[in-house]
Amino acid sequence: MNLSPLSTSAGDPSGPAQSQQPLHAVASAAPLVLRSITKRWRKDLPLILDELDLTLEEGTSTWIGGRNGIGKTTMLRIAAGLIEADQGRAEVWGITPTENRARYQRLVSFLPAGDRGLYARLTVRRQLEFWGRIAMVPRGEFAETIDRTLDDFDLRELEHRRVDRMSMGQRQRVRVAMTFLPKPEVVLLDEPLTSLDTEGGEILQRAVAELLARDGCVLWCSPSGEHLDMTFDHSWMLEQGKLVPV
Amino acid sequence: MSADHQLKAFLAVMRRDLHVYLSYRTRLVSQLLTSLFSLTLFYYVSRLVHVSGFTSHNSYFGFVVVGISLIGVLYSCFSIPELMRQELVAGTFDRLLLSPFGAIRSIIAMSLFPMVFSFTIAVFTLTLGIVVFGLHLHWSTVPLSVPVMIMVLLAFLPFGLLFAALTVLVKQGSVGTNWVIALLSIVGGLYFPVTLLPGWLQTLAKLQPFTAATDLLRHLLVNSSLGESPQTALWKLIGFSAVLLPLSLFLLGRSIRFAQKRGTIIEY
Repeated sequence: MNLSPLSTSAGDPSGPAQSQQPLHAVASAAPLVLRSITKRWRKDLPLILDELDLTLEEGTSTWIGGRNGIGKTTMLRIAAGLIEADQGRAEVWGITPTENRARYQRLVSFLPAGDRGLYARLTVRRQLEFWGRIAMVPRGEFAETIDRTLDDFDLRELEHRRVDRMSMGQRQRVRVAMTFLPKPEVVLLDEPLTSLDTEGGEILQRAVAELLARDGCVLWCSPSGEHLDMTFDHSWMLEQGKLVPV
Repeated sequence: MSADHQLKAFLAVMRRDLHVYLSYRTRLVSQLLTSLFSLTLFYYVSRLVHVSGFTSHNSYFGFVVVGISLIGVLYSCFSIPELMRQELVAGTFDRLLLSPFGAIRSIIAMSLFPMVFSFTIAVFTLTLGIVVFGLHLHWSTVPLSVPVMIMVLLAFLPFGLLFAALTVLVKQGSVGTNWVIALLSIVGGLYFPVTLLPGWLQTLAKLQPFTAATDLLRHLLVNSSLGESPQTALWKLIGFSAVLLPLSLFLLGRSIRFAQKRGTIIEY
């Protein structure tokens, strides 16, 4: 499993026509490629991402650290397709979010930092069911997917509890569960351990291990890696808009 | 993405909104009481004053009951920006945007529950008018009011979508919507006939589709006279929908894309 900050070694991105092929038929593409990503928030501010290159390959885990405000979240948001880079492109199996948004979003799942993104007045089960529908979980797998998620993320006891009546750690477990629910191929995690207890951290690690076992890949960002109990295939620090090996 | 998947996603958004609505237990009671007290108020106002152009107190009461029913429908179309604002603040809009279902479909889906609910409240208001205040409906044409009501919703949905596009850019939910609703209720002849308005306002009343919609619905529900032919009113509604619906969807898409490029889509 080879991963390094690349220039353009992943080859030419596939066009929309290729996006309809089986994923592994796109030989030159990788699960996630960030090509020369450049982003500046304001003209009077320095570049937050400076021609950043990154390739994640199948079955690999990557950690990126860096101090607060250095650009980790911006990079993840670009990779997720939430915001656009000033220059460069994010590709998942050769597809960009602008070329085939729906397919891109089927393959990528993003856990933003913080505790937002939940409907406070919905129960855990309804939250998962809603997300399952929006994430277009196949019809025949829907009920099984919801039940499996409740079990895998130890949410059975909380399934009928409203989110606004749960602790921060419990909410984070729901957010993590929603991230893995549609069985994405690329998972982007922004400070995923926030508010999680030891048990919650272990559940997250199991979910990541399951993702890697089916040849998915994970990009995990947090300010420092000292508190992590898991090993990564590749580790980088984000400094002055570029990735530096740890 | 199959039609079946999309339909289920649309229904999931409606179900979500229903569950959230029902989680506030007093909200329904409050809205039903509002309808009851509004009707009571206008019932006694109709007894108190004589409005020119109406043959009896009851005919003015019938006129205003339909207007009250329609204002709820109008509000439902204009509720989209505020709902969007709530999604932005809660961080749930990001999830919709990053889902295969997508932001635009989600925004359209988010308008469905308020529309269906406003339609239900409109039916409740008319029923109250009949049962409590002796309103007489013109039953032979009442069924035709349902497709007309759907056309009214389609004609007014673009206004909500346009303000939703604005909300994506300026992050304020109710920017502009309240004064537009107030203006439409005046020029649409919600509480009084537009013939009472000054000439230039009557021109505005004839140009926008709300007056035609209220006139047509009143004609179908309480057999009031029409200011113009039903065909003209229908073509106005169809014309507005045909032009404004694609335009508003296009502008909504552009505003989301613009906010993604600038990075402001994450702000709230």
